[in-house]
Amino acid sequence: MKIILAFLLVIFLVFVGYHLSFRRLKVPLFARRLYLTGMEFLFIGLALGPQFANILDKETSDGLAPLSALVLGWIGMLFGFQFEIASLRRFPGIYFIAGFLESFITLVIVFTGVYLMLPFAFNVSGGARAAAALVVAAAAACTAQTGLALIPASRTAASHAIIKFLRYLSSIDGLVSMLALVPVYLFFLRFGHRADSAFGLGFGYNILIGAVIFVSLITLYSLFLSQRREENELALIIIGMVIFISGFSWVVNFSPLLSNFFMGICLVNLTSDKEKIFNTLVSIEKPVYLMLLIFLGSIWQLDQLSAIAAAGVYFLLRFTGKTTGGFVAALVARGREGWHPGLGWGLMGQGGLPLAILYDFHLGSGLADITGPVVGIILIAIIFSDLLSPGLTGYVLKKEA
Amino acid sequence: MERSAADKSTLLTYILTLVFIGLFGLWIKGMDIASGREAAGLIIFSLGFVMLSAYVLARIVEWVHVPLISGYILAGIIAGPYVSGFLTDDMVGRLRLIDDLALGFIALMAGGELRLALISRRARSIVLNIVLITLLVTGLVSVSILGLGQFFDVTREFDFQRLAIFSVLAGLICVTLSPASAIAVIKECRARGPFTGMILAVTIALDVLIITLFTVGVSLSKILVTGGSIFQLTEISGLIFEILAALLVGVIVGQTICFYMARVRQDLVMFLLFMTFAVARLSLGFNEWMEVQYNISLHLEPLLICMSAGFYIQNFTRFGGELIEGLEKAALPVYVLFFSIAGASLDFDSLMICWPLAVLLVGVRVAGLMGGSWLAGIASNDPAVFNRNAWMTYVPQAGVSIGLAQIAARQFPEIGIHLNTLVLGIIAINQIAGPVTFKLALSNVGESGRAKTGQG
Repeated sequence: MKIILAFLLVIFLVFVGYHLSFRRLKVPLFARRLYLTGMEFLFIGLALGPQFANILDKETSDGLAPLSALVLGWIGMLFGFQFEIASLRRFPGIYFIAGFLESFITLVIVFTGVYLMLPFAFNVSGGARAAAALVVAAAAACTAQTGLALIPASRTAASHAIIKFLRYLSSIDGLVSMLALVPVYLFFLRFGHRADSAFGLGFGYNILIGAVIFVSLITLYSLFLSQRREENELALIIIGMVIFISGFSWVVNFSPLLSNFFMGICLVNLTSDKEKIFNTLVSIEKPVYLMLLIFLGSIWQLDQLSAIAAAGVYFLLRFTGKTTGGFVAALVARGREGWHPGLGWGLMGQGGLPLAILYDFHLGSGLADITGPVVGIILIAIIFSDLLSPGLTGYVLKKEA
Repeated sequence: MERSAADKSTLLTYILTLVFIGLFGLWIKGMDIASGREAAGLIIFSLGFVMLSAYVLARIVEWVHVPLISGYILAGIIAGPYVSGFLTDDMVGRLRLIDDLALGFIALMAGGELRLALISRRARSIVLNIVLITLLVTGLVSVSILGLGQFFDVTREFDFQRLAIFSVLAGLICVTLSPASAIAVIKECRARGPFTGMILAVTIALDVLIITLFTVGVSLSKILVTGGSIFQLTEISGLIFEILAALLVGVIVGQTICFYMARVRQDLVMFLLFMTFAVARLSLGFNEWMEVQYNISLHLEPLLICMSAGFYIQNFTRFGGELIEGLEKAALPVYVLFFSIAGASLDFDSLMICWPLAVLLVGVRVAGLMGGSWLAGIASNDPAVFNRNAWMTYVPQAGVSIGLAQIAARQFPEIGIHLNTLVLGIIAINQIAGPVTFKLALSNVGESGRAKTGQG
């Protein structure tokens, strides 16, 4: 009964919150920085979690696992839909290289820092250490466009080119992050804590099996979409397939976020029904996102002050990564006469994808002792980044204008 | 009818899709499930598996003019514990949570489809159908069990008193119909017209009436068993209060939905799904709480609440059309899940135990339905085509009958288990055959395809 009540409560909060946050309420600009990203739902999740109301305790969260898998799958699929090759080709090829470099540099800097720090902060070693560091770095590499969205139109009008470039970089960031997660799920987690000794034959075998599964799922999708479908049939197929793939991913110890992400990329590039599918996906995008925030908030551990210091270190690592990456990206895209060297400051917002990456890892890694505190630390840093992001983006735009 | 090459290619695609899904299912089923996450994954996978395979199988059986919901049920049976065993009893039990969502949703739709104008035009026919079907089905089933009970394993050991109680309760339970199946087939066939309106009204009203009559029957049976002579009026008045309370709550729910439609409008489908699930679970939770806290056995029937809400919105507000439109958008996934899981839940163990008596009673029930609806039609001067076909729409049976059998099992443990087994056996047959006869009847009467929109 508690699971059902918790489910009803979560859905109710999401529903009401969605309308208040994204549709109705007008709030002052400063408050909007937090409010319009939906971050307040992290605090609602925290309030519902074991540390306060204890409505979303561990048992209840386990009972709601199917919903979590669906949420992750949905976000993955939706994110994959951003990568339509025809749309990406509208930008110069050098932009792609610039974006890839910017993200990769952030990834390397954060990975190195976190990998070195982890044994001191937590008793973790071997494959788990590498996996955790890579996931945290992947989350750090992501960029959201909320900073841009919160800047008044009068200030963005004069900086059209750089805004387009920042948006492009934001998309590519996500791609690099997701690619970085592939070895984590294809190798580390499938072998659990035996990762050190298993590299080699197992890795190749997993890639082969993964490829076979992927091709089979694409074939299944193609069969479904080979007929012309009415809107409600298409909705059933999409919901069914996301559930099917998410469940399948969990059974084979893979990530529902990643598998649906790759499926989304294939669908947007292969099917003629992409508009209809996208409309179905996007119709519940915001409620799904808010649900993710509530679930994440419920596992947020706020019992140690040291978490704030650790969040500060993480923020600095990411700040360094983004600044360096942004500098390189600007150089690659425009040469020496390019944009302001602090371009990376316009990429400080993190948004929703890193949250999904973290939650996916928390549910899938079997390392809850480590992922719980790590998620808490990064959440603090993400909130801080999202608060600073509009100001920093505004600064970059002002310099360019 | 000759099929085109494109049709054949479509069928082939569906078969291929089903094979693919089946292969995935076989593969996953063969895996060792070690961790809690893998177990949760298997449940999620099963949900997707059932949803997709039921949808595809229904499209395949549609090829031979079998209703889609029969396809969903068939998929559930094949995936369920008695055929492939892909869905275990435990998994089916977990997935039945969807029932709460789906039943409320379907009840809201059923209520929304009941139009007061149409009911009042055919009031005489509706009332006569209800009365005559109730009398004939209850009478024929009861007499059959009383007369032939000694020839069947299930009832052979009963003394006359127990056999009498068993026969009356079984007779009453056999009157119950399936509003969920009715509304699903009506939507699938895009049926609309006086016949469709009448059978829907009869189907819904009969379920409400039979709950009341069954409570009277249980009270009378208790007197028979205990030898007492005081008719438990409090139980009957309590039941009437519960029904009125459910109708009132339904109006409040309906008003809430209208308020939402007037003020917010967006995401109506999600809101309706949330409301129906919330009504279903909260009313059940409220019943439990009242029983534990105050020892008051209040049974706010979620189905009745949702039907009442739908009926209120359709007939007393300006939002009827909008409600139906919103419900239809989400109807397909709801039907697919609800009926496929219903198929997986069908109890073939019970059918194996009592199949001779179950088959006999299915036949007797059909005779009662034929006789009752035919006599009602004659008395109301209904068109002959209505009278010939109405019984076919009353064959499907589910939900409420199981609930009533379980109440009987609690009240009369010595016969209840047998009654429960028998009812489950009868439902297994009626739920498979019912949608087929229903669709045929709508087609014979000529009301299929008259509505503007429908659900696949």
